[in-house]
Amino acid sequence: MSLDDQSLDTRALQDLIEESQDSHSDAMRAAREPLADLVETGRDRRAAGGFDPEETQRFAHERRRLMRTSLVAGGALAAYGFGERLLRLLGTPAFADQALDVQMLQTSASIENLAVATYETALALPFIGGEGTNATIKAFVTKTKDQHAEHARAFNDAVTKLGGSAQSQADPVLLGIVNTAKPTLTDAGKVVDLALTLETGATQTYQNNVAALSDPGAKAVTASIMGVEAQHAAILLAVRELVKVNQVDLVNLDPGNVDRLPDIAGKAGFPDSFQKTDQARPAAEGALQ
Amino acid sequence: MKKKRSSARHSEVMAISEAELVGLTSDLDEMHHATLPAMHDAAGRWADELRTAAGGLGRVSTSRRRFLLGGGAALGALGLVACTDDDVPVGGNPTPTDPPGTYRPSTGDFAVAAQAAGLENLAVSTYQQALDAAAAGRFGAVPPAVATFAATAKTQHADHAAAWNSVLTNGSRRPVNDVDQALKSGVVDPGFAQVTDVAGLARFALGLENMAAASYLDNIAKIENAYALKLAASIQPVEMQHAAILNFVLGQDPVPDTFAKTGS
Repeated sequence: MSLDDQSLDTRALQDLIEESQDSHSDAMRAAREPLADLVETGRDRRAAGGFDPEETQRFAHERRRLMRTSLVAGGALAAYGFGERLLRLLGTPAFADQALDVQMLQTSASIENLAVATYETALALPFIGGEGTNATIKAFVTKTKDQHAEHARAFNDAVTKLGGSAQSQADPVLLGIVNTAKPTLTDAGKVVDLALTLETGATQTYQNNVAALSDPGAKAVTASIMGVEAQHAAILLAVRELVKVNQVDLVNLDPGNVDRLPDIAGKAGFPDSFQKTDQARPAAEGALQ
Repeated sequence: MKKKRSSARHSEVMAISEAELVGLTSDLDEMHHATLPAMHDAAGRWADELRTAAGGLGRVSTSRRRFLLGGGAALGALGLVACTDDDVPVGGNPTPTDPPGTYRPSTGDFAVAAQAAGLENLAVSTYQQALDAAAAGRFGAVPPAVATFAATAKTQHADHAAAWNSVLTNGSRRPVNDVDQALKSGVVDPGFAQVTDVAGLARFALGLENMAAASYLDNIAKIENAYALKLAASIQPVEMQHAAILNFVLGQDPVPDTFAKTGS
């Protein structure tokens, strides 16, 4: 139905439209001033080489590029005979964002799956899970294994909520590292080193992913796990120092123990002011193919 | 024609559409309202814990309700007053050396940065206070691991504060160099006054670290700028590590929670 079909005073309507536009313009001016600051700041930042509002756009572009590259390299498109139209679809922000979120979450689940399996392996070692071993270390390994299992479930829940398939396998690259290390696990120190590799890789991967995930729920679950893995790493770092100085008996939860702890135990658990990302795993490393 | 001219002018002034502008305005408002309760809640919960532990700390007006009701002053020192429309400079009180009109109000992610800097400054100040008291013999003999922890954590919190202030100054926002006097006088000082031994000091520091970690986790969900988000994500795990070591020192489960908590 056009306006001409209605019994309206078109002149009055035009006046209302103009009035509405004026109100809108006033409102926009009020909002524009602080926002103009943001835009100007962004320009300043670009000039200074710092962060800028376009960074997010570039990142989104990089996410889409990664998505296309991964699928083409994997032969998925050719295998299914998909054409250029689908490639264009895959390149759209909504599709690529969700697909890459799923890949990152699957990778996270794969790291957790491997951590569970590795701690299970550790518990089977006589000097970790056997009789007469350090009860605090055994309890820590047991609880940490259980926490990783909870993390895997949480990541897979997030995957399925985004329409992906749960990842039940281990990260293939880290699995290789674990398999190589297994025959060398002859004392607690070596187990701690291997566990540190996994915990550090996990927390740094999640740190990267927190900044890259587009789905708020996926970001929230990843962020809530990231710091817990960092805590695992902190305790492992402290334990490693005590093992190094042959004071593994100090790894206990007796409050009176603190007087005997060497000073290194007070700082070994957090060596850096800012968590690094040099050991982060690639976003799609553990994704389902 | 009128609308077309208006749109053209907008394009010259800002490289964003009106729809984006409306969205940004809404986001800023939501950010303002969403950030404050979490910070209040984290601080309030810590105050509750301190009061419970001290058995009567509420006498010195640190009840959660009073703290929350009196949160305006606390927010000022945390830099959150800059979220208001009254053009108050962000980051605590202006100093005589600040040229007038140099800084812009901190809103959105800058408000989060100001909040984080204020919280980190409080941590630095508190650890320094603890180190001074320890040196004066107030806690008796301080184990080497505890002394090293306090000194190292203080340095790292100072690094965090400097990083957030770098974000602020690079964005022409006022750096936050002050501590939150309301939080300090309402929560930290009364809590610290109850500390008489090393274990009490460790518990006190644990509350501070847990509050910081919870605040960062909450902010990670709200920050939009990629740089600020990466910075927060690089700091939150470190605060969690501080807490883990304090739990270990206290003889408690070092990783008590399977999932990190926000302030709620």
